[in-house]
Amino acid sequence: MSMRSLWVTPMLLALLSLTTAPAALHAQPREEATADNLFTGTLDVRMGQRVFQQQCGRCHGNDGSGGEGGPDLTNGFRSASTDAGLFKIVREGIPNTQMVGISRRSTDQSTWMVVSYLNSLNDTTDVDLPGNATNGQQLFAGKGNCGSCHMVNGDGGRRGPDLSQVGNRRKPDELASDLRTPDEEVDPRWWTLRVTQVDGSLVEGLRMNEDTFSMRLMDDNENLWSFSKSDVRSFDRVKSSTMPSVDGALTDAEVDDLVAYLFSLRREES
Amino acid sequence: MKRLAIVIALGVFATGVTPASAQKTESQPGVTPSFSPVTWERLLNAKDEPENWLMYSGTLDSQHFSGLDQVHNRNVGDLELKWAYQIPQLDRSETVPVVVDGVMFITEAPSNVVAVDAATGRQYWRYNHPLPDDLRICCGRNNRGVAILGETLYMSTLDAHLVAIDARTGNLVWDKELADYRAGYSKTAAPLIVKDEVVTGMAGGEYGVSGFIDSYNAKSGELEWRANTIPGPDHPDNQTWAGDSWRTGGAATWITGAYDPDLDLVYWGTGNPGPDWNGDVRMGDNLYSDSALALNHETGAMEWYFQFTPHDVHDWDAIQVPILADLEMDGEMRKVMMWANRNAFFYTIDRVTGEFLVGKPFAKQTWAEGLDSKGRPIRIPDTFPSAEGTTVSPPVGGGTNWFSPAYSPRTELFYVQAYDGEDTYYKRDEDYVEGDQFTGGGGQRPGPADDYQSAIRAMDPKTGNMRWEFEIQPRSTAGIMATAGDLVFSGSVDGYFFALDAVSGDELWHMNVGRLVHSSPMSYAVDGKQYITIAAGNVVYTFGLRD
Ligand code: HEC
Ligand code: HEC
Repeated sequence: MSMRSLWVTPMLLALLSLTTAPAALHAQPREEATADNLFTGTLDVRMGQRVFQQQCGRCHGNDGSGGEGGPDLTNGFRSASTDAGLFKIVREGIPNTQMVGISRRSTDQSTWMVVSYLNSLNDTTDVDLPGNATNGQQLFAGKGNCGSCHMVNGDGGRRGPDLSQVGNRRKPDELASDLRTPDEEVDPRWWTLRVTQVDGSLVEGLRMNEDTFSMRLMDDNENLWSFSKSDVRSFDRVKSSTMPSVDGALTDAEVDDLVAYLFSLRREES
Repeated sequence: MKRLAIVIALGVFATGVTPASAQKTESQPGVTPSFSPVTWERLLNAKDEPENWLMYSGTLDSQHFSGLDQVHNRNVGDLELKWAYQIPQLDRSETVPVVVDGVMFITEAPSNVVAVDAATGRQYWRYNHPLPDDLRICCGRNNRGVAILGETLYMSTLDAHLVAIDARTGNLVWDKELADYRAGYSKTAAPLIVKDEVVTGMAGGEYGVSGFIDSYNAKSGELEWRANTIPGPDHPDNQTWAGDSWRTGGAATWITGAYDPDLDLVYWGTGNPGPDWNGDVRMGDNLYSDSALALNHETGAMEWYFQFTPHDVHDWDAIQVPILADLEMDGEMRKVMMWANRNAFFYTIDRVTGEFLVGKPFAKQTWAEGLDSKGRPIRIPDTFPSAEGTTVSPPVGGGTNWFSPAYSPRTELFYVQAYDGEDTYYKRDEDYVEGDQFTGGGGQRPGPADDYQSAIRAMDPKTGNMRWEFEIQPRSTAGIMATAGDLVFSGSVDGYFFALDAVSGDELWHMNVGRLVHSSPMSYAVDGKQYITIAAGNVVYTFGLRD
């Protein structure tokens, strides 16, 4: 614990100086960067989408879910926490990266429309869900045994993705299919690697990382392993999920409760 | 390897060691220059001084082959890091340095160049090119290298200028604007010296520009000729563009070409027609986009062209370095050009006439049934981009791209970075606005990156058949160098730099350099020691054998 508090103080100081310095440099912030977004209607979002598909889609994917040249924009933003911040990024790009920003000729109005479109990709406004989140939370920790594999806010197992903010990245219907058909669309991070060592012993675990020459995995006891491919006898990849389906184990109502709980797990709005 | 003489100036060892060579001017006593002027004779005979890497592709035939063999397939495991140079900008580097007599020239983002001691990586000078803050660049602040003639370096800049820089000091000699950057023009590729001229292309194919290749007087910076890559309305080939679409047709020229001194022909590739993914507004073959051009060097007149992808709608630029070699084919010596294209086909072409000789896929492709007897692709229907998306191989980035392939005259194999990927291609309506992007759609990878693989493939250029492959996971966008030590060097997106056996494809050495390798390796020697250099991330690493 004392180690940790030693860490936190200088980090905080660094953060503070980072956030205050630019403000001091630009005493007069750009007007549009502080203004509210006036273009948030459905039509504005659609116009924003048009601009996005023309100017941004080739890097960020046609639907903003990420591509060869740019990150996924449907999972919240690393570089901006406010509309004004997003506006600035879209307008000016991010220096020293591929991120070029909107055409110089585009008006501030269409830039705001793009901001509205980006927000629509991250829309997590509450929808009416049949389940009960409080019951879901109990199922998660208890009968469902979900916590043995998943962490939520620092508590739980390591054999599945951290779900602390899963409500930001998955919609309710997607969550339901995550629970019922885990073998569909398994991210390669969660494939299983089965490695036969030279002495014939087997090591099996979740595929944390693999490249041309080496691979790293975590076994069932949460031990980390790193192998050079040339030093093992053989290895295979199992592309199915290690997560059991809830079908048969839980009732439909229980699944609804879990979905309601999972969807409530979101990043706190700033 | 050539013997290198050590030059002593007033009892002090010169930092750069000058190899003895009859072609170079004598150095004055007391002011030993670290390098001697690079005459056209030296460039013509660059193969004879493998200790130097005198141009982007190593030699005028662009083989990206180093004649050095001190590092070879039995001792390559003894390579170790000799030095690293950190480019002060974070942009991923695409530079291939040039080395002349112990001095290395490295280009940096956005449009700068530094000269360092090639044995230590320590700086002599730097040149920072001033740039406007409203550049129109599609794909990052890239610069791929310089050309040198005499004591002058020539470099492309992002604001579409060509600059001449004094190689001993970094002083600006002249600065020439090729086109207006506000209209979407930029420049990223290393120029090519031909005799006393600087031949150079341009970029901007995502902005509805109109492509060209220029030749400038190296001394004065005066334009000698301009070859437009899209013919004007007075030319019959202009008919291959519907209506006025030729005006914004792209066909940029953003990678360095090659030169054949016997034929006096300059070879250069051209990029995609614009808008990239919506071909409806530019019906026709769209000549001379996605083509190899052979230009007479005296006049710039086109001797022949070969169009790889007529009416391209997938952004498959023919922006590859043309590799020239003389091969015995069917009992006859032929002057050929070898070309692994972004469209996933490998071609061997007669470079005297442009005649198609051999063509086969070298990477996964689902868009053509094959090539006809003239080398024209036979398209599979329903492979065009659409509003709802059409999935096709290769992806937008291609079966390969601009990073250099290599050819070894020892193995007679052509080494290419191949990618077996796919994209879902979308088409959009888009109006042209000068200075804005004009692409008409885009592409998106339908599955996770780990579902696809790259491989280095060794192709037999006489048959188009693959001899061996080395799989890379998940992928690579790095160039390749072959060496007289029978090695093939390349890298990967996840930051490996490695060496393979050029004959068998077996892996012999690898090093984690920590970040994307996006440039091409090169090799040189100083003081009798061979070095191998690669840029990874924004760092230039140089390796040599353990002392
Ligand atoms: C040439 C490719 C490219 C184009 C075109 C492009 N971007 Fe980006 N974008 C990137 C990259 C790369 C990053 C990540 C930059 C970094 O390293 O921080 C990025 C980052 C972003 C971010 C910040 C993401 C975050 O998590 O904070 C936003 C928002 C964004 N882009 C929006 C856009 C919009 C809107 C457009 C069109 C007007 C656009 N981009 C055009 C490549 C591109
Ligand atoms: C044996 C370990 C294990 C158990 C038990 C388990 N999971 Fe999973 N879970 C995983 C793994 C591994 C993945 C990632 C692979 C995949 O998509 O199926 C995953 C994926 C998910 C996802 C998708 C997350 C995302 O980011 O896309 C959700 C939601 C989820 N689990 C919820 C649950 C719930 C709720 C339970 C309890 C009913 C549960 N899991 C039980 C291992 C487990």
